[in-house]
Amino acid sequence: MLSVTIRQALETMRLHRLWTILTISGIVWGTASVVLLVGWGVGVHGMVDGGMQKIGKNLVYLIPGRVSEDLSPADERRELSFELEDARVLRASARHIDLMSAEMQDFMYAAYGTSSHLVDVRGVEPQMMELRGVTIAEGRWISPKDVSLERRVAVIGQTARERLLGRHPPVGQHIELNGQSFEVIGSLARVGAQLSRDETLLDEQIWIPITTARNLTGRKNLNLIVARPPNRNSNDQLKLEARRILAKRMHVSPEDEEAIQVISFIDYLSGFDAVFAAFNAFLTVLAITTLVIGGIGVMNMMLVSVNERRREIALQIAVGARRSQVIGQFLVETLAITMIGGVAGTTLGMLACTALSMIHGDLIPTPHIIPGIVVLALGSTMAVGVVSGCVPAWRASAIDPAETLRSA
Amino acid sequence: MNASLVELAEVTKVFPMGDSEVRALAGVNFAIASSEYVGVMGPSGSGKTTLMDILGCLSRPSAGTYRFEGRGVDELDDRELAELRGGRIGFVFQTFNLLPRLTAVENVELPMLYRGVARNERRRRATELLAHMGLGDRASHRPGELSGGQRQRVAIARALANRPSLILADEPTGNLDTVTGDSILDLIDELHRGGQTIVLVTHDQHVAERVERVVRLRDGLVESDERRR
Repeated sequence: MLSVTIRQALETMRLHRLWTILTISGIVWGTASVVLLVGWGVGVHGMVDGGMQKIGKNLVYLIPGRVSEDLSPADERRELSFELEDARVLRASARHIDLMSAEMQDFMYAAYGTSSHLVDVRGVEPQMMELRGVTIAEGRWISPKDVSLERRVAVIGQTARERLLGRHPPVGQHIELNGQSFEVIGSLARVGAQLSRDETLLDEQIWIPITTARNLTGRKNLNLIVARPPNRNSNDQLKLEARRILAKRMHVSPEDEEAIQVISFIDYLSGFDAVFAAFNAFLTVLAITTLVIGGIGVMNMMLVSVNERRREIALQIAVGARRSQVIGQFLVETLAITMIGGVAGTTLGMLACTALSMIHGDLIPTPHIIPGIVVLALGSTMAVGVVSGCVPAWRASAIDPAETLRSA
Repeated sequence: MNASLVELAEVTKVFPMGDSEVRALAGVNFAIASSEYVGVMGPSGSGKTTLMDILGCLSRPSAGTYRFEGRGVDELDDRELAELRGGRIGFVFQTFNLLPRLTAVENVELPMLYRGVARNERRRRATELLAHMGLGDRASHRPGELSGGQRQRVAIARALANRPSLILADEPTGNLDTVTGDSILDLIDELHRGGQTIVLVTHDQHVAERVERVVRLRDGLVESDERRR
């Protein structure tokens, strides 16, 4: 029974070749595009997420600002500054900070042999390596002892290393920063393309103990404090708590967002999440619309087929086919035609995803095959098949065998 | 005469025709007993075909009662009607009405397919019937590859598939030449000799010679009903 029905479906497709090609390509396009585009969208999302997070995962920047005009007369607007002591107090009293490090930034002349470059030098605490998510390629990282003894040691980013040291092995070399000699104790593994940065890329920076940096520049104020919550959900609590503690030390209002500026990367990313969710919803609606249009095509084709086969259907009824069997036959036939398109389209979409993911590159999004979307694509094709089969099947079952068999 | 296989009482059939209506049957009464060989004759428009459609449960009477094996067809639902059409009645048409995309043996299997006969049994029975019709070597041919006489033999095999109690043959030789037609009629005669109840519609007096009883219709009424043997 089923094999006869599927043979009949193939026969219908053969008889209406052009029509079949047109309607099926609609369904193929619909399913392939939903699988590929949604997969691609997720890939872009992942790429943006990854690129944004290369500066460090889930970071919160605490930056000293000026007292807001709302809270003090314009000519009295005080500029705030954080010092290492403020960072120490914050670390000691905050409960929602998992990890934090103060940072001082200066552009300095770095010299090695005859070469000299202006380099972005960051004075950091040992926690910064984990915060930034960087790894050591050679040598070692800045230790707590380096900080407490204010040692003149430096860890150097890959690009900075290439520019300054060329082919020389970095560890053990002595470089000069603002005329002072520093020993290179390690180099960072390459970070690669970043979608977010502060002034320079991590690969271009040289990192030294924060205490050494303070001595070298003779200034006490930090540029910022980098902190990280224990998990994404405590992001908001961290922001509130850090502002409250720092505001108290600075003698400003905790509501003053200009005085203590808080920048959260998680907030940025959730903005992207909303954009991508909307993008995916749009793609899905687009693809389903294509499927529905394909379904209307299939329905038309089946209606024509029912009309052409009136006599056969009448004969089937005459030799004992129940109306429900006729309905079933046409539903299965319609379903077979749409599913051929659906399976072909889904396969095509997955192949395209696989092919595109073979192209490597930091800034080329890798499409992902998402099982849920594959199931959704096949499921909606099936639904379209059943729905568009209903009208033709009902028409077929309503045929009057006596009248139809007698008509010439 | 034993109990009636089919029984028509005051059967009328009216077709709407624009604003007016056409009375194809105007009150037909007669009964057919098991194993009878009945010819239905009459000029065109006399209601022969409509009568056959009602006998074959392809359409329902507008009024009156039609009883098949004692059961009023009016009371049957779609499923029971399909069961009757496929299982108890075998139709042979003037235009054969074979499904062009199925092979001969698959065409014969069709009524068994709808009754849910197992695949092997279907194939066995259909092959046997085709062999009996002298088409053993044509089983896997499609109707387009068969002659008119061969097609009608396939159609007769199909009509016999579910061992029906009534065979309805509507001008079975109408599309065949005389020699081929005679061989088909010989086949039908043989079925009758085997005890099969047959109703044969024809306008050919020569054909009518073969049957036991002739019912003549005119203007939707039974004009005469005579027994020959």
